[in-house]
Amino acid sequence: MKKQLVAREHMTQKPKPKMRGSRARGNTQFAWTGSDLLNGEIVPSLTMVLTTKGCSWARRDGCTMCGYNVNSNPYVQAPDIQKQFNQVIAHYGKAFKIVKLFTSGSFLDKEEVPIDVRDTILSELKDMPKVIVESRPEYVTPEICDDIARTNEHVEVAIGLETSSDRIRNNCVNKGFSFGDFIRASETAIAHDFTVKAYLLLKPPFMTEREALEDALQSVRDAAPYADTISLNLCNVQKGTLVEALWKKGLYRPPWLWTAVEVLKRMQETATVICDPVGGGSRRGPHNCGKCDRKVVTEIKEFSLSQNSASFTASCTDQMLWEFVLEFEEFSYGAPLVP
Amino acid sequence: MTRLFEVTKRDDAARLGKLGWRGRALATPHSLESKEDLELLKESTIHRAEIDVAIVAAQEGTGTERIDADVVILAGAARFQEDPRGLTKALLGARKLANPDSALYVPALATPTNVSLLVYAGVDLFDSIIAEVKAREGYFLDADGERRFDEVSHRPCFCGVCNGANITELSFEHKVALASDHNKKALKEELNKVAEHIERGTLRELVEGRCRAAPALTALLRLLDNEYEYFERRSPIVRTATLLACSQESLNRPEIRRFGERVIERLRRRDGVLLLLPCSARKPYSRSRSHRIILAQLGELRQHLNEAIITSPVGVVPRSLEIMYPASNYDIPVTGTWTCDEREWVTACLTQYLSANTFESVIAHVSGPYRQICESTVEQLGINVVYTVDDDNVLSSASLQRLRAVAHELVDACSPARRDLRFDYMQDLADFQFGPRASEAIFPEIPKIGGLFPTYYASDRGRRIATITGSYQTLALTIEGARRYLPASGGKYCVQIDDFEPKGTVFAIGALKADPGIRPFDEVVVVNDRFIAVGRALMSGWEMQASKRGGAVVIRHVESR
Repeated sequence: MKKQLVAREHMTQKPKPKMRGSRARGNTQFAWTGSDLLNGEIVPSLTMVLTTKGCSWARRDGCTMCGYNVNSNPYVQAPDIQKQFNQVIAHYGKAFKIVKLFTSGSFLDKEEVPIDVRDTILSELKDMPKVIVESRPEYVTPEICDDIARTNEHVEVAIGLETSSDRIRNNCVNKGFSFGDFIRASETAIAHDFTVKAYLLLKPPFMTEREALEDALQSVRDAAPYADTISLNLCNVQKGTLVEALWKKGLYRPPWLWTAVEVLKRMQETATVICDPVGGGSRRGPHNCGKCDRKVVTEIKEFSLSQNSASFTASCTDQMLWEFVLEFEEFSYGAPLVP
Repeated sequence: MTRLFEVTKRDDAARLGKLGWRGRALATPHSLESKEDLELLKESTIHRAEIDVAIVAAQEGTGTERIDADVVILAGAARFQEDPRGLTKALLGARKLANPDSALYVPALATPTNVSLLVYAGVDLFDSIIAEVKAREGYFLDADGERRFDEVSHRPCFCGVCNGANITELSFEHKVALASDHNKKALKEELNKVAEHIERGTLRELVEGRCRAAPALTALLRLLDNEYEYFERRSPIVRTATLLACSQESLNRPEIRRFGERVIERLRRRDGVLLLLPCSARKPYSRSRSHRIILAQLGELRQHLNEAIITSPVGVVPRSLEIMYPASNYDIPVTGTWTCDEREWVTACLTQYLSANTFESVIAHVSGPYRQICESTVEQLGINVVYTVDDDNVLSSASLQRLRAVAHELVDACSPARRDLRFDYMQDLADFQFGPRASEAIFPEIPKIGGLFPTYYASDRGRRIATITGSYQTLALTIEGARRYLPASGGKYCVQIDDFEPKGTVFAIGALKADPGIRPFDEVVVVNDRFIAVGRALMSGWEMQASKRGGAVVIRHVESR
């Protein structure tokens, strides 16, 4: 055991180039443009993924479904982050209404994004109608919010709540914080006039399709009072995760797209729920039978902008199968009934 | 603690049983269809309920502690639908972990096509979940595979459910409803068929046919066949049904390999002259026309010869074991050509047989593929063999005369002792059934032999020692035989029972200690301090010890010790 530890330390001390590859140069492929909803209007948005040293939780423990830490690099320095941001802005300009600053971790964690870089970036975007940053709740403190509020008044804090059930968040996601932590973070953000977005995870591992559906519905109801927007993330199979290991053993299947549609339809009156089905229709992503996937993915995206359930018109023969799965999957004792 | 399940009939690892269920008895193998039944099981895994249910995961197959529950569930079995290797490991692991008198339930896996193999591997309980899933995916299921809705549209199904209905006009929902009923019916029907085959002891024959429906199923059977020990431990010593060796996999049946092993490991070493003969369609061989003609030619010379029959798939059958299963009743497709697998297997058997014994000379009265096998064997061993068939016809007068002349010459050359051939049968059966040298304990001197072939009996000074039974042609000991065998047995083929007089059927609960080597239908000696009895085993010895329910031994005779 001891020997192993020594060996590991040795490895981390090995000199390595500061950063390699195109990402270090702020390659624009880690940024993209799109359309999003802002105060009921569809507006152009810019999203950028800044490479940092990575999520503090992923380095310490990690979530069962998250493989984003492969995008991190322990040797990133403050100037690298600033450079990435500058190059994205230089390439795309600022003609957007929304800018999303993603780090595959917490933008508000000063270990990840040093304070001076954070403040420079936020102040450069102070005229942007909406700047969305992602963070775990422990970094959404009154002190940090005070600091940010001074440089930018249009911040939205997006928090990966995943589910309102502490039992599921602990056992199935291994997220390492509670619903109470989220509520405190949300109230802090709102007190600083920030808006709040909550991410929910549809179908963490170790759950049947029905359990996943019911958990998502309940979580929307529970989170609605503390979030301006709820983003429903459909769990997909990312490299190097526990979810991937389970999936390879035939013990996990990403959610059906129909389950997502069901959540969106039924929660329309309760909250603004948006959804971008990443990897939709692929084996590793949320999928249906294969025939209807493309259409349903399009409709989910449409709904996210329109918030009008008239977007949902698709029907397919596999809906009977999906309904059967909802009813009977629990009796397989752990294996999905349909790949 | 198992209270509700009892195995009533065994066929290798497959079982017929009765499971107490909501106040009635389910006959297993059984497919649970209603959601209430599935819920009852699921509830019972959480709360201690009327049924004692335990869950095992596939990875736990290495545990040693036996799980003692009415029903044991192999969790997540559905993931092995396309993975025969994983399935083999999981099924056998779960079966080994579960007590033999626990019913094994494999959820969400059974189809009419695979269920016979799952039962063959030792599963007792199923459900119709996949039958329902497949209907919703657009498939009709039958024992021979699946058909898509559009295929059924062209050629309607005439089963009692479908009744030749033209499904072209039906809506998808109606097609699903029909297919769902059809699939559930097909599963039930197949389970019925499986039960029937277990009853007759012919499940293996059914399984060898069913596994052709898909490569994954054939792979499953072959992988199961690699688990020789698992199946041998459950394989009956005799069957009344004829073993039909119609496929390549038949060669891998546990009883075929076990027969070969016992011929080498258990029988007395022979010397002198060996006569190799081809097999015959009629069994036992000596009743066949070809063997009668050959043996008539040899006459009294036979008493100085050792005879052995070369055959696929049993290998080498010493004359004395021709009445023992599986040599006594098997059938194979006869085409005149042998497959490479058959040649390889029989060559290996013959090589071992010739190496294990010390024959001075070997006569091979064989032709065609039999002769090729002899030649390739001899080439490896460097033994001198005299071939007595010249014109490719073992029954031609030239061949027969040559056989007689050569036999005379070789017997004269080494002048082996004369034997009573009837005693040969009894001695070899004793060793084959009870182990090496058992015949020396049972027959310390040459007994008086009576009876007609093959039901000979042996007596000593008017006391009957043993009889070859008419039903299974096993050697059954009398109490006198048992008294002779017991001191030398070392506990082999013995069952220690509690302090009661064994009568009728002795149940597993009454067996204190049993030789784990006992197999279903073995002749066994049953003892306690007061009584000695003989009877026929109904289950394996290890199972008698692990089980609390079911008959263990049917008693034939009992006496005070």
